[in-house]
Amino acid sequence: MLLELKEVQKHYKDFSLNCSIQVKEGYVTGLIGANGAGKSTTFKAILGLIQIEGGTIERFGKSQNDFTVQEKTKIGTVLSEHTFSSMMTIKDVIAVMEAMYQKFNKKQFLKKCEVYHLPLDKKIKDFSTGMKAKFKLLIAMSYEAKLLILDEPTVGLDSVTRNELLDEIREYMCQEGRAILISSHISSDLEGLCDDLYFMQEGKILFYEETDRILSNYAILKVSEEQYQKIDKTYLWYQKKTTYGYELLTKERQYYQENYPNITIEKGNIDDIVSFIRKGETI
Amino acid sequence: MNLIISNSSMEPIYEQIIRQIKSMIIDGKLKEGTVLPSVRILSKDLKISALTVKKAYDCLEQDGFIITVHGKGSFVAQNNKNLLQEEQKRKVESMLELAIQAGRHCGMKEKEIRELFELILEE
Repeated sequence: MLLELKEVQKHYKDFSLNCSIQVKEGYVTGLIGANGAGKSTTFKAILGLIQIEGGTIERFGKSQNDFTVQEKTKIGTVLSEHTFSSMMTIKDVIAVMEAMYQKFNKKQFLKKCEVYHLPLDKKIKDFSTGMKAKFKLLIAMSYEAKLLILDEPTVGLDSVTRNELLDEIREYMCQEGRAILISSHISSDLEGLCDDLYFMQEGKILFYEETDRILSNYAILKVSEEQYQKIDKTYLWYQKKTTYGYELLTKERQYYQENYPNITIEKGNIDDIVSFIRKGETI
Repeated sequence: MNLIISNSSMEPIYEQIIRQIKSMIIDGKLKEGTVLPSVRILSKDLKISALTVKKAYDCLEQDGFIITVHGKGSFVAQNNKNLLQEEQKRKVESMLELAIQAGRHCGMKEKEIRELFELILEE
């Protein structure tokens, strides 16, 4: 286990965080939730940027009190705010990184800057959105960190740039002993990248599942009123009333496929499930 | 190794991987001892979760098609003729089952189905 949060609590005036999350070695774990659900607060707590009021956070099996500077260099981060002054150039940043991180791989980093056409002498404040996002991710991945904490690394990017960054992240995971915790609003990003997912709402974890199970076992059934009355509801989870009948969410796609060949069944995806959990009613 | 994954298919992704690797082994396109790509590499190339790939590899190992050596990777297992034949037989069996089901569905009697089968066999 590279990261474990146990009932971590933090209270603000009109928001309370209370969540447990595990990130295992070799896993890319996704954190999804609406704006204001508590994802960024969770990330800040993990990084020790805010004081938690209850629960424990273990990184690399060590509690927050035993956490040394040495261990902090094993974590790479992308946060929404900039880590470096926007008046700096990449050249300035490299000097800082060399002084701070023993494992900073300058050669590799420069190579990546070249691949993505990042100018070394330009001030970061003059970078485009895409350039800033690439720069932030490349820096986080430049010193062989074992754990990456990525808070919406692809926000505001076009699909080509987004896919480039996702490929970089996948590439990073090819080396053993690493893990990533990532948040995003774009479910297709998460479907193709994450091994498991936590869904957060109002500071709490509502739902956890392996991505593979969502894609292969979850499904949406679309039934008429009449079909709804007859269908076996044992394996149904959420329902939504529509104009012409019901939409039903199940975790046992195969059961309904085999026993109800006439019902319209669609593959579930993360967006559907999120929408069911937020707007549907449990059965 | 050339795998084609459809994200929109109703067939679970790990089953698509299993089916394609199995048929490559049965057809002899993947020879005994061939090293398969690591779980992470394949997950990167196919843009799917590593757990999905791992599940597919685990199933293939259970069925005796591949062997995974810790720290070394996964290999195509020693060709087991019986296993391959068994697998192909199962395929034929399920296709025959489908045909019989279709026959019964439209009200054909057992005798009629049998006669039809004999007829096609003779052709």
